[in-house]
Amino acid sequence: MLAKYIARRFLASVVVVLGVTAITLALMKTTSGSYVPGIDLNPALRPDDIARLRADLGLDRPGWQWYATWIWGVLHGDFGHSMIDGSTVMSHIGDRLPNTIELTATAIVIGVLIAIPVGIIGALRHGTKTDHTMTVVSVAGFAVPQFWMGLILILVFSVTLEQHGLPWLPSSGAYSAVNGGDLIDRIEHLILPATVLSFFYISTWSRFIRSSMLEVLSQDYIRTARAKGMSERRVVYLHGLRNALIPLITLIGLELPGLVSGGLVVEVVFGWPGIGKLAFERALQYDYTTVMGVTFFATLLVIAGNLLADVLYGVLDPRIRYGS
Amino acid sequence: MTQPLLEVKDLHTVFKTKEGLVKAVDGVSFELNPGETLGIVGESGCGKSVTALSIMRLQRPGKIVSGQVIFKGQDLTKNTDDEMREIRGKEIAMIFQDPMTSLNPVYRTGWQVAEPLRLHHGWDAKKSLTSAINMLGRVGIPSAAERARDYPHQFSGGMRQRVMIAMGLTTTPAVLIADEPTTALDVTIQAQILDLLRHVNREFGTATMLITHNLGVVAGMCQRTIVMYAGRIVESGPTADVFAHPKHPYTWSLLRSIPRLDADRHEPLKAIEGLPPSLVDLPSGCAFHPRCAFRVERCSRDVPQLMQVGETQRSACWVTQAGGELKGA
Amino acid sequence: MIGPSRVAELETTGAAIDTAEGRPAQSYWNESWQRLRTNPIGMIAGALILIFAVIAILAPVFSAVLTHFQPQSVDLSATFRPPGGAHLLGTDELGRDTLTRLIWGGRVTLGIAFLTVGMALTVGTAFGMAAGYYGGWIDDILMRLVDTVLAIPAIFLFILMSILIHPTPITLAAIIASVGWGSVARLVRGEVLSVKQRDFIMATRSIGARDFRLMFRHLLPNVLPVLIVAASLGVGQIILIEAALDFLGLGIQPPTPSWGNMLTNAESYFFHSVYLVYFPGVMIFVTVLASNVFGNAIRDAFDPRLKT
Repeated sequence: MLAKYIARRFLASVVVVLGVTAITLALMKTTSGSYVPGIDLNPALRPDDIARLRADLGLDRPGWQWYATWIWGVLHGDFGHSMIDGSTVMSHIGDRLPNTIELTATAIVIGVLIAIPVGIIGALRHGTKTDHTMTVVSVAGFAVPQFWMGLILILVFSVTLEQHGLPWLPSSGAYSAVNGGDLIDRIEHLILPATVLSFFYISTWSRFIRSSMLEVLSQDYIRTARAKGMSERRVVYLHGLRNALIPLITLIGLELPGLVSGGLVVEVVFGWPGIGKLAFERALQYDYTTVMGVTFFATLLVIAGNLLADVLYGVLDPRIRYGS
Repeated sequence: MTQPLLEVKDLHTVFKTKEGLVKAVDGVSFELNPGETLGIVGESGCGKSVTALSIMRLQRPGKIVSGQVIFKGQDLTKNTDDEMREIRGKEIAMIFQDPMTSLNPVYRTGWQVAEPLRLHHGWDAKKSLTSAINMLGRVGIPSAAERARDYPHQFSGGMRQRVMIAMGLTTTPAVLIADEPTTALDVTIQAQILDLLRHVNREFGTATMLITHNLGVVAGMCQRTIVMYAGRIVESGPTADVFAHPKHPYTWSLLRSIPRLDADRHEPLKAIEGLPPSLVDLPSGCAFHPRCAFRVERCSRDVPQLMQVGETQRSACWVTQAGGELKGA
Repeated sequence: MIGPSRVAELETTGAAIDTAEGRPAQSYWNESWQRLRTNPIGMIAGALILIFAVIAILAPVFSAVLTHFQPQSVDLSATFRPPGGAHLLGTDELGRDTLTRLIWGGRVTLGIAFLTVGMALTVGTAFGMAAGYYGGWIDDILMRLVDTVLAIPAIFLFILMSILIHPTPITLAAIIASVGWGSVARLVRGEVLSVKQRDFIMATRSIGARDFRLMFRHLLPNVLPVLIVAASLGVGQIILIEAALDFLGLGIQPPTPSWGNMLTNAESYFFHSVYLVYFPGVMIFVTVLASNVFGNAIRDAFDPRLKT
């Protein structure tokens, strides 16, 4: 049963990966035809040079051939070389991924650490002023454009503080180019983008926990726990929270692709050298191979996120059994 | 005369709703003696469950506005929350109507059954689990040691109710409150659970408060019966007497609405006319008078108190208190 | 157009619609309207959206009568003016009037948002109905397609498509809708599946009703409440996406003003005028907030059980 489930799941994933990469390539082909990246920057190139470059990059071949070659490479662990700078796509992803993980993981951890208590408090004090205030803040948090919040934070904590000669926070990059790179420096750079990203998570997740917790607390087994003489603390945290967290796990699993796409806007605003920014820049430059590599990778993350959510669900909720 | 184990005195519990104040329990008094099984009967919404929850102080969001619940010399309504937690699950255990939803789905049953022991006796995980498994076996769960590792959803409804009962009994409480313990179960399973409760009562000497809307259950289980209507007790007495000679028209109608093997076959069953009253807006006088076949003029005016009627029973009815008989109609 | 959390919220919406006739009874719509009307905050939010929409539609009138400026008229003698005087909300680096540009920008932003919702709902409903109604291999193929669309990191699709198609308001709406329809299709399919279970569909089919008649006369009315809720919650999300695309330079191109691309410029002129950063952001925030609140109010009105 489980084997069959895994097989079906795997097959569906393959279809999705092929579909996504094919659509991406089709779009890029349609967009740029056989355009050689960077030629417009170099007026000295002669037509036969361009033709040679085109052949080197495989751009003279029809899309499906290019795609087949690419897939063949991927199956052998070879994502090819960037069309812009010639270094391997894997090395680009390898360079940028740690930065993205640093930012996103920080934001998710902060998000969870703040959202869970806020959600619980909202549920326990539901109907009170505290609850209403938190509701308003979170509904508002949902409506703030991330890039605008980023701009405002830069304006306040970088520009204004600096203008007044106060200690200010860096607004761009993951670390200082000069004399940077130590822990303090990296944390300083992390604060503003992580704030923006986690703010979004907090407003989503805290609402979610609140309603999930409210529902759980009205269940019969909570009454049973109280009838057994448990402290309110034990009732809420041991008997309630575990049940209330189950749906949140799914939500966080679905957030995993945000590693690449969700953080993109924040990465661009804060000049954060992450994988989303990489994809954004390279797509604008028609770097087929890099974009294909990142797309492939991002799609895997979507699938992995879904899978992870399902597996965790099964671990946390004994009622779930696979195969049905 | 033995000292009662639990004494409820003039208990009032109210709920605030949009429609108004609901007096769910409106001046209820009774006592529970050591080792006895007491039945509380009534239609849904008559306040029997809220009475039980109020004893445990679990009536939230309702509020106990007055009255006393005397248990082992202390008034539970005056206890602090911490003192109350010492009572719940240790001295007074409670099992609920729907065993499907009353167990926590994400914890193993053995762990849940053992929880009161860890909590109230401070036993370690191993000792409490051994005791829990022992108790699961005693309430009739086959291969209890293995089943203790299962999750609630792996049990049938009847087995889950056994688990609930085992969970209540681990700490050998003095009182077991069973709130509609068989309502959600199949008829054959119902009989098994009732057998178990009877067995528990005999073996452990646990005084049992059995709350049900099913008169048949009361007849087979309880020494004494209390009948509730609209938040009040309308009749009480030894079960045999109450069933043989009901002293309140409500009890009388209830008994006529269920089929009996020994009854005259030609006599049709009679449903009670009308609907239970809204607790927000109770009828004047006796709450039952609009549905009562015996009502006299006074019934719509004055509220009857629960008084001795006959040798063993008490009734809150102007007609029987004045010596009237409930016959025919 | 709708994140996973939103979809989870929506999936339970349809359950409330259960009437003996099999389609939402008239009283159901009336009751929903009654509930909406008695929700003051929701009504205020709805009114705000309506006001913004009217201002957007009448933008030429406003710039002629109220601000006396055109959105693209440059005045290099009056750059970076602070709010006040002739320029109520100040001017930008080319001396263009901020208020005028906000009004015209709202026209673009709101127009795109409503257009996108319309497109996503139309395509998503068609796919969802077909998948749910026919089932079998048609369902399999359509739903794998939806999975694929939803698995593409949306922002890549936006980037690539806006390079491919020169973004005008209409093409931009199409680009955003090309991702948004997926979640609508899922929603509609689920709803159709549950409606299909009910007896009246079998009864209708047994008297020989055609597929199309069945879908449009019987299934669509049942799916409608879910669609309305999805639409009202979707507007805010789309405004955010559109603004982000504009900001990244992938959306509406200058000099045509949009709230998003006004901020792209503002970023470069922090030191000259902070107002350029404030106003467009506040407009986005208020509009999205209003449409989310209104969307929630509509959801609560259609399904009071979901109210939290």
